[in-house]
Amino acid sequence: MIEVVLHQFVLATSGDDAPLWLLAAGPAGAVATYWSLYRYYRNTDKSHAYERDTLITAQPVQGHREKVRHISRTRDSDIDGDNSGDHRVRVQRLE
Amino acid sequence: MTQDATPPSEPREPRQPPFDGPPLSLEEELAAARAEPEPGPDIETVNESLSDGLNRCPKCGSTDVRLRGSTEMLICLFCRHQWQEARVEEELGLGVGIDDLEGTVVAGGAEAITDDDDVITMTCGGCGADVVVDTAHAMNARCHWCRHTLNVNQRTPNGAVPDAVLPFRLTRDEAVEKIRAFASSRRLFAHPRFKKEFVPENVLGVYLPYLVIDARAEAAYVGQGEVQTRRWTEKQGDNSVTYYAADVYRVDRSVAFTVDDLTIEGAQDRADFGSGTTNNIVNTILPFDTKNAVRWNSSYLVGYTSEKRDLDVTDLQPVLEDQLLSIGRSQVHPTLGEFDRGVRWEAEKIDVGGSRWVAMYLPVWLYSYYQENTRMLHYIAVNARTGETMGSVPVSQPRLIAAALTVGTFLEGIAGYILVATA
Repeated sequence: MIEVVLHQFVLATSGDDAPLWLLAAGPAGAVATYWSLYRYYRNTDKSHAYERDTLITAQPVQGHREKVRHISRTRDSDIDGDNSGDHRVRVQRLE
Repeated sequence: MTQDATPPSEPREPRQPPFDGPPLSLEEELAAARAEPEPGPDIETVNESLSDGLNRCPKCGSTDVRLRGSTEMLICLFCRHQWQEARVEEELGLGVGIDDLEGTVVAGGAEAITDDDDVITMTCGGCGADVVVDTAHAMNARCHWCRHTLNVNQRTPNGAVPDAVLPFRLTRDEAVEKIRAFASSRRLFAHPRFKKEFVPENVLGVYLPYLVIDARAEAAYVGQGEVQTRRWTEKQGDNSVTYYAADVYRVDRSVAFTVDDLTIEGAQDRADFGSGTTNNIVNTILPFDTKNAVRWNSSYLVGYTSEKRDLDVTDLQPVLEDQLLSIGRSQVHPTLGEFDRGVRWEAEKIDVGGSRWVAMYLPVWLYSYYQENTRMLHYIAVNARTGETMGSVPVSQPRLIAAALTVGTFLEGIAGYILVATA
C-alpha cells in the first residue's frame, strides 16, 4: 500500500526536482508524534470550556465598522495578530 | 443504638463566664447600645432546622445519617428512612432575577473569611461533651462518649460551611471503573512506576469548594479587521507568488449578556493553573448540574472528605471579569464573518452590572499519584454527577522519545526515497 502511494507521489513529481523541504518531514513528524502523545497522556491543554458550557443569555450584538485605510499589495494572506478566536487572550483593558 | 442518648442525669457544674477584659466605660456602653446591628448577609442560607448541631432523622431521631449515593438522598441507618434537603435554586430564588441584579450580592456562605482557624470545638447536643472537628478535611465527628454524630451546620468564620451542597451521584464502583478505563487507554507510554503502583480502588470522594455566580454584564471590544478586495498571482522567475489587496476597518462590538451558574474554584490550591500543577484536570470536569444543589446539611459529607474555601469574593472578582470578557468575545465572534482576513482585538472593556455569589461544595472522585522524580501531583478526576473523567498520566520519557524517533526516521526515509527517485 505504502509503496503504491510512494510510486504515485514519485510519478506526480517526475520531471521536476522534489523540493528539499521534504527533508524536514522526519524532524517535524518526530516532534508532532512526541507532542500529540504527551498531550494525550498529560492533557495539559484541557480546561473547562465555560464560554460554551455555561447558561448564557445574550442580547443582540451591537457594532460598527469604519474604513481606515487600504492595503494595495501584500503577501500576507491574513491580518497580523489575528486573535478573534483566542477568547481567553487578554488585550488592553479599557476602564 | 445511640439515637436516644440523653444528657447525663447529674447536674453539670455551672460554667463561669470567660474573662473578656476590663468593664467598659459608660460612654462606651452607651455607644455600643446605640450602634447599628451588624449587617447580615445578602442572602441568608443557614439551615435553621439543624441549629443544634445534630442532624436527626425526622422519623426516629437518630443521628446515624449519611448520603445514599444511588438515590442522592439522606438515609437513616437506624430506621432506613430516606429524605432530602430542598433545592436552593427554588428555596433561595437563585434561578430568577439575573436581569435585575445590581451590585455584588453575596450569600451567607460566601462571605469574607475572617478566621483561618480550621479546628472548631462543638458541644455535643446529646451528652454535653466537647468534641473537636478539623474543618479543613471533615464536617462531621463522632462524640467519643455517646456516639452521636456531630455536624458543623452553623456558619463558621473560616469559610468551611458553604450555602449549598451537591450530593454525590456516581458510586465509588462506577468511579473506579471510569478511572480504570481512562488509565487503561494510556498504558503503553505511561511511566512504569505509575503502572506498577496503579490502584484505582484508592480513589477518594472529595467535596471541593466552588463559588457559583450569576452575573449581568456588558462587554465592549475595539480592534481592526481586514476584508480582502483582490487576490492575484505574479510570476517571479520559476516561482509564482500570490499577492493580496485588502481594506482595513476599525471594528467595534458590544454585547450585553447574563450568565447563570458560572462556576469558579474557591480554594487557592485548585485555582493555580500554572504549568507546575495539574489543577487544569479538576477544572476540566466542570460543569456540574448546580441547579440540583440542596441546602447545606453536613450529613451529605459523611464518609467523604472536604476541602474548605479559602478565597473570598474580592479575590475572585478579577477571575469573574476575565471569564466574562472571554464569554463576551465568544458571543461577538459569529458577527465577524465579513472580515475574511481576520480581526485583531486591541482593547476591551467589561462592565459588571450585578453579580450574585453562592458558595457550594461539589462532588469529585479523585485518584491522585505523586510522581517523585518530577515532584508533580497527577490527578485522575471524575465528576461525581455527570461522570466526565479527565486525568494526567505520567509519561515514560524514554519510550515517548523512542516512539517519536521511530516515526521521524520512517518519515525521513520516505522523504529520502522521493528525493533520490526524482533527482
